[in-house]
This record gives sequence, C-alpha cells and structure tokens, in this order.
Amino acid sequence: MSINNGGEPISVPEEIYFLCMLHNIGATSPERSLTFEEIARWTMLEPSKVEQNLKTLMDGNYVAISMDSGTKKYFITVDGIRKVLSMYS
Amino acid sequence: MNICMLTWEYPPRIVGGIARHCFGLTRALARRGHSVHVVTLDFPGAPQHEESEGVKIYRAPVELGHPNFIVWVLIFNHFLEKRVAMLSRDFKFDIIHTHDWLVAPVGIASKHYLNAPLVSTVHSIEAGRARGIHSPDSRLIDGIEWWMTYESKRIIAVSNSAKREIEEHFRLPWHKIDVIPNAVDASKYNISVDRESVKRRFGIAPHEKLVLFIGRLAPQKGVEYLIRAAPQIIRVNPDARIVIVGDGWLKDHLWNLAVQTGCQHKITFLGFLPDNDLVELTLSSDVLVVPSVYEPFGIVALEGMAAGVPVVASNTGGLSEIIEHDRTGFLVYAENPNSISWGVNRILSDPGYASWLVQNAKRKIYEMYSWDAVADRTIEVYRRALEE
Repeated sequence: MSINNGGEPISVPEEIYFLCMLHNIGATSPERSLTFEEIARWTMLEPSKVEQNLKTLMDGNYVAISMDSGTKKYFITVDGIRKVLSMYS
Repeated sequence: MNICMLTWEYPPRIVGGIARHCFGLTRALARRGHSVHVVTLDFPGAPQHEESEGVKIYRAPVELGHPNFIVWVLIFNHFLEKRVAMLSRDFKFDIIHTHDWLVAPVGIASKHYLNAPLVSTVHSIEAGRARGIHSPDSRLIDGIEWWMTYESKRIIAVSNSAKREIEEHFRLPWHKIDVIPNAVDASKYNISVDRESVKRRFGIAPHEKLVLFIGRLAPQKGVEYLIRAAPQIIRVNPDARIVIVGDGWLKDHLWNLAVQTGCQHKITFLGFLPDNDLVELTLSSDVLVVPSVYEPFGIVALEGMAAGVPVVASNTGGLSEIIEHDRTGFLVYAENPNSISWGVNRILSDPGYASWLVQNAKRKIYEMYSWDAVADRTIEVYRRALEE
C-alpha cells in the first residue's frame, strides 16, 4: 500500500497497515481484545510477522495487552485509534 | 427542525477538521432552537448517549469487523443505520445531513426510508486527498463520493475552490452546491497564559521562538516541506524551534527527514494533544505554519488567526481564500521549503509586522467566521432542500 506524494510514492509502513487491520476487525478496547492466534487468523500473516508488528506497535504505545484467564490478548489504544483514523480523514 | 447529523468523527473522536466542524455547527444549530441528533461512532471512554449544550449525541458501537477498510466502513454504516432507524421511531427527521463519503451509505439509505432530503457537506474529495485516483480503493471511494453528491438534494462545499473542484470532478450543476466556510470558536482563545511556563511544559526553552504546526501527519498536510525548510529558518533565526503537534502514519518518515536535515535538535514532535493543551500552545506560539499541499478549507489557519498568532500558509485551496496575503497572514508556495522559510523568517524577524497581521486577522475572524453565521447559512440550505 502506498500513497502518491507529488509523484513520489510513500509506502505505508507495514506495522501501520497491520494496526489498521486490528482496528477494522474491532480490537479497539480491552473488552474486545484478541488473542495472538485470532489476530494471525484475521490478518492472514505469518506468526513471526504478527509478533514483530505487535512488538513494534506496543513499543509505540499503539497496542496494549489485557489478560483474560491467563491468556494474553491485544487491543489498540486510543493513540492507536487516532493513528489509524489519520489515514482516512 | 429535527436534524439528523451523520458523521464518523465527533469529539472526543477527533481525526481532522470534521469533528471540530460538526461540534461547532451542531451547538450553534441547537442554540437556534433546532433539535439536533448526532449519530456517530463509539470511542473508548465516551458515553453511548449524551446530551451536551442541547445536542443529542448517539455513539453506535460497531459489533463486527473486517480487516479490509472499505468493508469495515460498510459495516459501521450498517450499525449507524440501525441507530438512525431506532431514533426514527421517536423523531421525525426533517433533514439528513452527512459529512464526507464515510457516512454516505447510511445517509443515502436514511434519505430513502425516512423520506427526508439529504444534505451533504463535502470537506474534501479522494481525488484531492490522494492526489489523483491511483488505486482500486481510491476508485471505490471516488465512486461513493459521486454517489453521495448524486443522491444529495444539496451539497455544501467549504470554500469556493472546493466548490469548483466538486463541480468539475463530479460534473455537478453549479447551482446544486452552496459554499459555507468553516468557523472557529474564538472565545476559547480569550484566556491569558504564561507563555514561558507553557513552553517549559512542552520542553521548549522560554527564549525559543515557537514555530508551530498542528495537523495530521499525512502527505496532504505538507509537514515534510516545513521540515525541509528548517535549516533556512534556523540559519536566520537560531532561536527558532519547530514544534509538530499531531500523529499519523507518516511520523517515522518525518522524523527520519528531520534527522537528514541535521536540524532534529530544533524539531520537536509532540504527538496528539488534547484541546486545552492545543489552545495554550497556540497562544504561546510565534508563528503558525499551515504548509498543506491539498486543503479545501484549513480550519487550523482560522484557529491561529483567532488566537492572535501570525499564520504562514500555502497558497492553495481554501487557505488562499481565508488569508489575504500580506494583510491577514502570509501566503507561500505549496511544496516549496524556500518559500516557507521566507515567510516564517519574515514574521520572526519583524515583530511589528507580525503584530499588524494579527490585528487584521482577528478583525476578519470576528466578522466572517463565527459558528452562529455558519448555522444561519446552513439552515438556509436546509430550507432550500426542503422546498425544492
């Protein structure tokens, strides 16, 4: 995915594209967080790619973890939601 | 009038200018005695239903998702439509008012089953945002935008340049489009701030001259040209600090660019800030730069003018209508770092001139850009839609 910037295409970073998918599938609050496996299934990405993207996004505070009966689940923070929305407005 | 306002963003869900526009407009409509119902998307921490200053706000949760953005948009439109249908049991809406393509499907469906005219405000179009139609997604969005303009009884454009763009791109009759500019709540800038303390709070030294950018970090906002202008600004004004407020997918690219210019120590990225911080920071600024490449209106320029900060903006779109060059602000060439640095340096180097621009700008804001005036003109458009 890239956006044309005056003839010079700028690619949307992979982790941002991944963040958009997390947003669009609805992982936007702790109550609606998803497991690693659910995310891999929705995004159809290799587990290593999912892990790498999640780590990058958590480092930027765009994704956070919630614990559900000992299982890690992931959701987008408010900053993450704003980042996604900045793509489309 | 019972007005159903459909928007994908409404505070605290703030993405760009649409949220601010809808917030200002709906409150002004409510002050005039109209019954205003905003149907929008949910946001973490915001109530699903509230009434604020006479405006009824309904935030619909989106209970389904899909990784594809366009499919997700269609899904959330479905949930908004269900909310409108529920409301229509209690209220007979006279007007359906949509803002941009993201809520076009719910607006069009509601128009037909509620038998009420559809009015659409077009804040920007895909062909402008993406600088052409270059991808299948863009073509789809462009098609939805055309559909919305076709189904709408009346179209509101936010500037004359936006009107021309919409008219030419969608081949619309000119008389179907009304121009109503955005506005600003100037009263929120009528506070006194301790500029030094505000600067310190954001890591800016009190003696530094604050060159402010506020906006989404997206290509259309042209932030990269301000960053490219940094070396020439710093050379003439060594005390200048460029402060970039906002977030977006371009952030890492922009940071790398700042490093490439060698001026990264003079450029601060603050990310997204809440409204009260934005007001204080704007009031503490020495110049506000709006370097947009594509800008049908440019509400941030109005905010700078209302705050009494000299504005340097690209001579493009709505910005060239808001700002009278060399009188109420300073217009520079878009996508041109030399021109941007020239404008910024002119302002920073001549405080008397900057102060004169600010006085002229403030007068213009109070005369032309109030939400009450925008509400009156919008009501006129509603009346025409009902009569036609």
